[in-house]
Amino acid sequence: MSAVSSSGWLYGAIQRRRNRGLGGLYLVVAAFLILYAVLFPGILSVGGFSKFTQNWFPLALVTMAQALLMLNGGITLAIGPLVSLGAVIAATTMDGMFGVPGGILAVALTGLAIGTVIGAIVAHLRLPAIIVTLAGSFIITGVALILLPRPGGFIPDWLSNTLAGHTPVAFLLLVVVLLLWKAFLATPLGLGIYAAGDNPVGAFRSGVPVERAKIAAFALSGLLTALAGLFVAAQTGSGDPVIGAPFTLNSIAAAVLGGVGFLGGKGTMRGAICGSLLLSVMINVMFFLGFPPVAQYVAQGLIIVGAVAVPELLKSWRARR
Amino acid sequence: MKIFENGLSASLRSRLLAGAAAAATLLVFSAGTASAAANCIKGDRKAPYTVGWANIYSVPTWMKQTEGTIAAEVEELKKAGLVKDLMITDAQGNAQTQIQHIQSMIDANVDAIVVIAGSSNALDRVISDACDKGIAVVNFDSLVNTDKVTAKINTDSAEWGAGAAKWLADQLGGKGKIIVMNGPAGISVSDDRRKGAQPVLDANPGLEIITETNTEYNAAPAQEAMTSLLFANPEIDGVLSLGGAISAGSVMAFDRQGREQVPVTGENARQFLELWKEKGLKGWATMQPNWLGALSVYTAVQALEGKDVPAFVKVPLPVIDDSTIDSYLARAENFPADGYIYSDYDQALFDKLLAQK
Repeated sequence: MSAVSSSGWLYGAIQRRRNRGLGGLYLVVAAFLILYAVLFPGILSVGGFSKFTQNWFPLALVTMAQALLMLNGGITLAIGPLVSLGAVIAATTMDGMFGVPGGILAVALTGLAIGTVIGAIVAHLRLPAIIVTLAGSFIITGVALILLPRPGGFIPDWLSNTLAGHTPVAFLLLVVVLLLWKAFLATPLGLGIYAAGDNPVGAFRSGVPVERAKIAAFALSGLLTALAGLFVAAQTGSGDPVIGAPFTLNSIAAAVLGGVGFLGGKGTMRGAICGSLLLSVMINVMFFLGFPPVAQYVAQGLIIVGAVAVPELLKSWRARR
Repeated sequence: MKIFENGLSASLRSRLLAGAAAAATLLVFSAGTASAAANCIKGDRKAPYTVGWANIYSVPTWMKQTEGTIAAEVEELKKAGLVKDLMITDAQGNAQTQIQHIQSMIDANVDAIVVIAGSSNALDRVISDACDKGIAVVNFDSLVNTDKVTAKINTDSAEWGAGAAKWLADQLGGKGKIIVMNGPAGISVSDDRRKGAQPVLDANPGLEIITETNTEYNAAPAQEAMTSLLFANPEIDGVLSLGGAISAGSVMAFDRQGREQVPVTGENARQFLELWKEKGLKGWATMQPNWLGALSVYTAVQALEGKDVPAFVKVPLPVIDDSTIDSYLARAENFPADGYIYSDYDQALFDKLLAQK
């Protein structure tokens, strides 16, 4: 990975190679999007597009948060609780004296702080991320329930309507986050996260501060997750201490669907984002196809297996030719 | 009553906001027929209607039975030519997915949405959107906060908790060590039942709460929790169990440990009622009737047909005690082994409930 130089030709070649494995996934996602647009043409209107992307946006954020760690060779089971905590903090601080900016700052700082602490424990005490984040998930769930024992709190209407109204603000935010990620990857620290995940020893010998990269990955992941919680609070107009729970598994599923490996260094952020888009659009497509709930469980499993299998089949078909 | 008043004022507000023309039509309409249209209803939807049933989680037996009553009601209404289609979604416990489902129902332009909320607040915005589109939204069991719905239908969770606590206090003569078994933490229903019990517990200072548990509304986790509590507490005089099959788990834990059974409260879970009879327990139970689902569909269709329906339909809690338990157990065969034996219902009962003001 550290071989990526500023040479445009080499960069293009590497990007092509990394995209190749994702061709199948892109096809599947495109097929679902087209099917969705055929079943519900309203998705092509501004309002329809806005509502659809709003429902996808928090999953996209937490998938980035998860993929970021998996690329670094880690994983987190604290995504769901941290989304809940982010929502709870947003809903309990925005009527305080610092208002909305104070609330946003509080959520962001909480996410960063929790991520940093978990990262520091994992990196310096050399404990497995899966155990530390599992323990963390219990603590965070508890704190969220203490702060807000039952759904409630306050989010100003204008904030809800701005972030989750009839305009595609959420989608634009996602584009901004992706551009920031792209820029971050161009920094030594950003590249270090990948490198340390791919080959920690090699990265260390090449001068990558492996431990610092790990802590940074956890901190950024925590930030993204808490902000996803802020968005959920805005979207729903309130805080809920348990609303995030399903995000943990879905973030892992989306990242793996997108070709991000468990062992670190393998995969791309665009793949992970596509994975999350597939999980989200699948729900709407199955609704419009009129699948009964029981069939939805089965279909969901088949689609996920299919989305992972299709790229592999394409690869072997290409190899045979 | 408070909720009912809020509902009225919300309906007034939304009517005022609906613009002068619409308000004028409504005034003429209500003056002419003497029955105002229900909340959310604009009168532009014609039978047969498409009904969307936005479930939060379809796997628990209570939900399956509830869905059964909804499907049966839809069949009845289909025969009457009032309903043409029932769309069912299952958010798999994910409130975020439920928002997505309700949004899809709005997109598909269904005429009515019947919903059990996965979170008391999270659905508020999407549900008001549905209401603005003139969709009849009927919310039951687990309620949303917003009043922009056609009707909310539920039993009173606080009364549930108070009734259970009162019975237990009477049984123990206001004195003894009890364990409180709650449903999951952070869920409004479980929180409300517990809150309802508190004033009664405060009024009986002789009742000492040894400890409280939070488990899913299933027998297995409750049995596990009670088993460890039995090891830790040699003296337990009563169990205040607040729902689901939790009581059955508790009774089985006492049984396995060879401990003498104590007075226990609970719900109409078949498992619990059968254990009650079998072990000769001192028991008390109430229920969240599964036919709230059927009633919700019926209410939505009534509202779409232009009938006025109350903004809040309070369904009285049926009580099961030693005098009535046999009538429930006699019908046990018709219900799943891990299901709930609910009280009988028919259209006359629904009409009576909707007529109350």
